Amino acid sequence: MTISTRRQLLASAAIIVFSRAAFGHTILGKLPWRPNEVYPPEPLGSPGWHFFTPGEAATVDAMVDRFIPADELGPGGKQAGCTVFIDRQLSGPYGTYEWLYMKGPFPADPLPSQGLQSPLTPRQQYRLGLAALNAYCRGKYDNRAFAQLDADAQDKLLDGMEKGEVQLPEFSARMLFGTVLANTMEGFFADPIYGGNRDMAGWKLIGFPGTRYDYRDVMQNPNKPYSLPPVGLKGRVSADRSPT
Amino acid sequence: MRRLFLVLAAALLPIAALPFTAGAAPDDYTQVERGRYLAIGGDCVACHTIPGGTQWAGGRGIQTPFGDIVTPNLTPDEETGIGHWSADDFYRAMHTGVMPSGAHLYPAFPYTYYTKVTRADSDAIYAFLRTLPAVHNAVDRDTLPFPFKVRALMLGWNEMFFRAGTFEADPQRSAEYNRGAYLVEGLGHCGACHTPMNWAGANDAARYLQGNVLQAWTDPNITDEQRIGLGSWSVDDIVEYLKTGRNARAQASGPMAEVVVYSTSGMSDADLHAIATYLKQRGAAGPAAPSPRPADDAQMQSGAVVYTDNCSACHKRDGTGVEAMFPPLRGDQVVQQTDPTTVLRIVLQGAQGAATDAAPTAPAMPAFSWRLSDQQVADVVTYIRNSWGNTAQAVPASDAARLRKRVADTAE
Ligand code: HEC
Ligand code: HEC
Ligand code: HEC
Repeated sequence: MTISTRRQLLASAAIIVFSRAAFGHTILGKLPWRPNEVYPPEPLGSPGWHFFTPGEAATVDAMVDRFIPADELGPGGKQAGCTVFIDRQLSGPYGTYEWLYMKGPFPADPLPSQGLQSPLTPRQQYRLGLAALNAYCRGKYDNRAFAQLDADAQDKLLDGMEKGEVQLPEFSARMLFGTVLANTMEGFFADPIYGGNRDMAGWKLIGFPGTRYDYRDVMQNPNKPYSLPPVGLKGRVSADRSPT
Repeated sequence: MRRLFLVLAAALLPIAALPFTAGAAPDDYTQVERGRYLAIGGDCVACHTIPGGTQWAGGRGIQTPFGDIVTPNLTPDEETGIGHWSADDFYRAMHTGVMPSGAHLYPAFPYTYYTKVTRADSDAIYAFLRTLPAVHNAVDRDTLPFPFKVRALMLGWNEMFFRAGTFEADPQRSAEYNRGAYLVEGLGHCGACHTPMNWAGANDAARYLQGNVLQAWTDPNITDEQRIGLGSWSVDDIVEYLKTGRNARAQASGPMAEVVVYSTSGMSDADLHAIATYLKQRGAAGPAAPSPRPADDAQMQSGAVVYTDNCSACHKRDGTGVEAMFPPLRGDQVVQQTDPTTVLRIVLQGAQGAATDAAPTAPAMPAFSWRLSDQQVADVVTYIRNSWGNTAQAVPASDAARLRKRVADTAE
């Protein structure tokens, strides 16, 4: 059943409530388990961009590298795979906000506590937002795209977007800034199976041990340095692939 | 509880003292109840039921090296069950593996063990089977390929590998030991799985209970041997394992989980104690320990990394596990068996222990096939077989590859 109106949603909730009452049963016997039962993570898919155009990818590469520049502490956002992460997220259910209620009304000037108040899906935000950003740059900086600006100019522009001082043509600069920054952090710290956090760069930077889930040995040895390398859902080596 | 004592007392009575008649009326309550109990001890229902099907109605394929043999319907249905069998017919099948028609049964039906069952016990089981509701369920009795489908072949096989004969107590041993011997060598048919087989699928009497491989599971050595047998288990350890499916050292999985659920968990504490006493007192036998792999061996080093990342959260870094939840691998017998099939299999496809009334949780281990290469599986298995005092042969990646293919889609 696809649920497209609130009323249908309520009706289906009622069905679920009633059918639970009617067919409720007690589980006896041992916990269900099947040999070979696994839910392996979805692979990143074929190389190349799944959502971005090459121009969009270059713009996002430039942005994530300003948010997390490469330095003596480790690789920057681009090298850590943040753009790949965002591309794969946008091509999946996140890209369309598949699981969110996306009908209005949307207040024109929502309070921050009201959360997301826009009909734009992440795909639309990137497609329209990046186009608006580059149109703005070409107008202001001698027909150059964002990626072609020098780092100082990029920083200044991003700063203005964050503060709401820059007006992009027909797109909220703040929204674009907020979305890309949030997704960059997600890509930098998510498990490497999603394409970002390549070689666990993000986890190594902050000393996060990854998906280990037992620390009895460590707890019993206080004040000793923790020496194990991080481990991801796929193991110690991240099996991600860089696009093209 | 009182009923149990009655049943037990009856079971322990000397044969001669029992008034029995062939084809006893099903209302002979004591005999029927004793038969019900003995049938549990014989684990009959596990084989004579399709998983999820009607109990006792047969239809399950029993894997043999020669093909699957389907179990017949044991309910008293005239046409498709054993309704027309007399107690004599039944005893003849149990004692000599021959059907009323004179045709031979295959030893996938463990008559090579049931032959030791006394006539009185056979009659009790028969009386119990008569009380089952008759179920109409015809099964295909003719599933083996030529030439094995020729039942007369079993004549030659029996000639070479089978001696019919009721159990004879050893007067040098205690009554408890003899009770244990009667159950293990007879109804329990423990040796059918736990004894190596020869080329013809017959258990090799010279290596009785020294371990075997069946259906891609290792049946461990259950003699009193120290490293890979029950030498370091106490009688109480064995009783607890057979009663509940686990103890502080191990958890029963695979075929043994079935044996525990259908058979040993339903046996009396006195009988389990007798079985354990027999297993402990019979003696030790097994291969000499190989020399342990050195810690700087490439497989050991790679295995240590795989273990730390994938296994230590449950089994702990020092291999001691968590009592009643994750079995210890240190000093574990299954891990050190000469044949590594079970260990490889458990790592590849996961495992769930037996769930019994006494231990209903049945903790499970997840499958690692999606995450570890054949080499990594072989390395971690070699590592746990040679760490913390364990010693066993190293395992090559080709073994892991072969087993991965074998168990990839099985639901066993
Ligand atoms: C390991 C599996 C297994 C167990 C345990 C087992 N059986 Fe069977 N049984 C078989 C198979 C397989 C056959 C069919 C053999 C054949 O077709 O030659 C069979 C055949 C029989 C037959 C012959 C029936 C007929 O119609 O020919 C009888 C009787 C029988 N079993 C009784 C029992 C009893 C009683 C027990 C428990 C004490 C028992 N079985 C336990 C596997 C098993
Ligand atoms: C159908 C085959 C089968 C039969 C019949 C069987 N076993 Fe087992 N047994 C196994 C397997 C397989 C294992 C290993 C279980 C595991 O890996 O968890 C095992 C394990 C055991 C263990 C634990 C050994 C260890 O070191 O962990 C004991 C004790 C044992 N069996 C006793 C018995 C007794 C006693 C009987 C007869 C009443 C019996 N078994 C009948 C297959 C069988
Ligand atoms: C989530 C917890 C968990 C993890 C992780 C885990 N296991 Fe297990 N393991 C179990 C449980 C529970 C059992 C008991 C299941 C059974 O006996 O059927 C078990 C059983 C075993 C056994 C059989 C022991 C015996 O005596 O029968 C072996 C061998 C084993 N694990 C090895 C490993 C190895 C090697 C790894 C890492 C690749 C691993 N385990 C990871 C929970 C875990």
